Amino acid sequence: MAPRCVIVGASLAGATAAITLREEGADGIVTLIGAENELPYERPPLSKAYLRGDVPFDKALVRPAAFYAEHGIETLLGTRVTRIDPSARLVELDDHRRVPFDALLIATGGRNRRVSIPGADLEGIYGLRTVQDADRIRKEIVAGRRVVVVGMGFIGSEVAASLRQKGLDVVAIDPSKTPLFRVLGKAVGQTIADLHRAHGVRTIFEDAVAAFEGTRRVNSVVTQGGLRLECDFVVVGIGIEPALDMLEDSGIIVDNGVVVDEYCETNVSGIYAAGDIANHYHPVFDRRIRVEHWQNAIKQGAAAARNMLGKRIVYDEIHWFWSDQYDANLQYAGFHTKWEQLVVRGRLDSGSYLACYVNDGRIDAAVGLNRAKDVRRVMPLIKSRRAVDLEQLRDEGVDLRSLQVSP
Amino acid sequence: MATEFVTATKTSEIPVGGVTAIDVRGTRIAVANVDGTYYAFDDECTHEQCSLAEYGELAGTTLTCTCHGSEFDVRTGKVLAPPATVPVRVYPVRVAGDAIEIEV
Repeated sequence: MAPRCVIVGASLAGATAAITLREEGADGIVTLIGAENELPYERPPLSKAYLRGDVPFDKALVRPAAFYAEHGIETLLGTRVTRIDPSARLVELDDHRRVPFDALLIATGGRNRRVSIPGADLEGIYGLRTVQDADRIRKEIVAGRRVVVVGMGFIGSEVAASLRQKGLDVVAIDPSKTPLFRVLGKAVGQTIADLHRAHGVRTIFEDAVAAFEGTRRVNSVVTQGGLRLECDFVVVGIGIEPALDMLEDSGIIVDNGVVVDEYCETNVSGIYAAGDIANHYHPVFDRRIRVEHWQNAIKQGAAAARNMLGKRIVYDEIHWFWSDQYDANLQYAGFHTKWEQLVVRGRLDSGSYLACYVNDGRIDAAVGLNRAKDVRRVMPLIKSRRAVDLEQLRDEGVDLRSLQVSP
Repeated sequence: MATEFVTATKTSEIPVGGVTAIDVRGTRIAVANVDGTYYAFDDECTHEQCSLAEYGELAGTTLTCTCHGSEFDVRTGKVLAPPATVPVRVYPVRVAGDAIEIEV
């Protein structure tokens, strides 16, 4: 009998898995269960084109509404899975229904971290994860209004850029030394700070939010450094945490997400995870990595789906993402936590560079500002795990595709 | 509207593996050279309008728009990888002597 495939999370990873199951010829029941009411959609536009009102929501849908029925994919939307029972091979829904499975994919992603400081419950303070969050922020967008963006990671940086583009008065605050500091480090982060300042954002670094003030609605943000920032609303972007509640007592191992092997499979045979929630053993980097990227959601979702059908495909994509801010295109590829050398092609202060995070002479990761082609060309070098000629890497005259690589 | 073949450029202008954008009667068209066979398509990526001649990376008949990673088949314009969902428009090409002619 054809296996019954259940996907928890009508996310980009979940939807891609469902689509892939059908593309791969799975002819059993495929059920896609999602807590949000919308059909699966892509989140990148929520902080950019959709937030600015440049594209309609339909453009963000992973597939048009008719696709799912046409391909026999059952969608249970507005439905939360409350429990997974690996031994009985079923999931329990919030309306107490039970759905049996032969193969299961967990792709529920994460939820926004929240600040727990005085005033955090005031009106006018928003996170951004879902289209509903984006719609709430959109209602606040009027040129000339004052917004404080809390957190200058990727979401905060993109929101700050989008709101500046809409003519708002933007103050951005982050406890680090620069935007994106944790991932990209100070030298590269500084260039992103410069980008925002050049577009009129007031940036405050190495200071943190101490309290939100206002009677019913927020009207100012007070910092630990003693600043008082008057505002009309606030957007908080301080990262996500994997949403693991339904896995309690399931026996599925969790550690910074759902722990999966190179096949995207959990410790329970036939149960997989993909996307933001999956802490995946990456064979190229020989360690577990959990990332929150659009490309990973698609590629890992597809790989997990193939493995649900017994194909045993090792997932070893080099992680990659982009972040458009103003008219700048920022891209990152690979994985790094620390680095011995930052090797730069071009100049960091020129608005166009490729910066490579190098350990033992090998490129673990690279970030490019307005260097889309270079980022693409450096990806095979990252995947090779070989030492490269760093002088050539620096030399703009040398094509990255012909760089000398150690044997 | 009737279409006709219009001389767009010379074969010597586009190296093997290269993609060049040319204005042909008011339309910006990219021409790719895949091992001596030429393919023509709209220069604008259907995702977020990056120039495919500027940002496109050609491998065989697959063109990757490096702005956001969309992939197209230059022979048909078909989307091979998202984020693009809409195919890029392709144009018939013929070579007459050293002239590349595109039907617009």
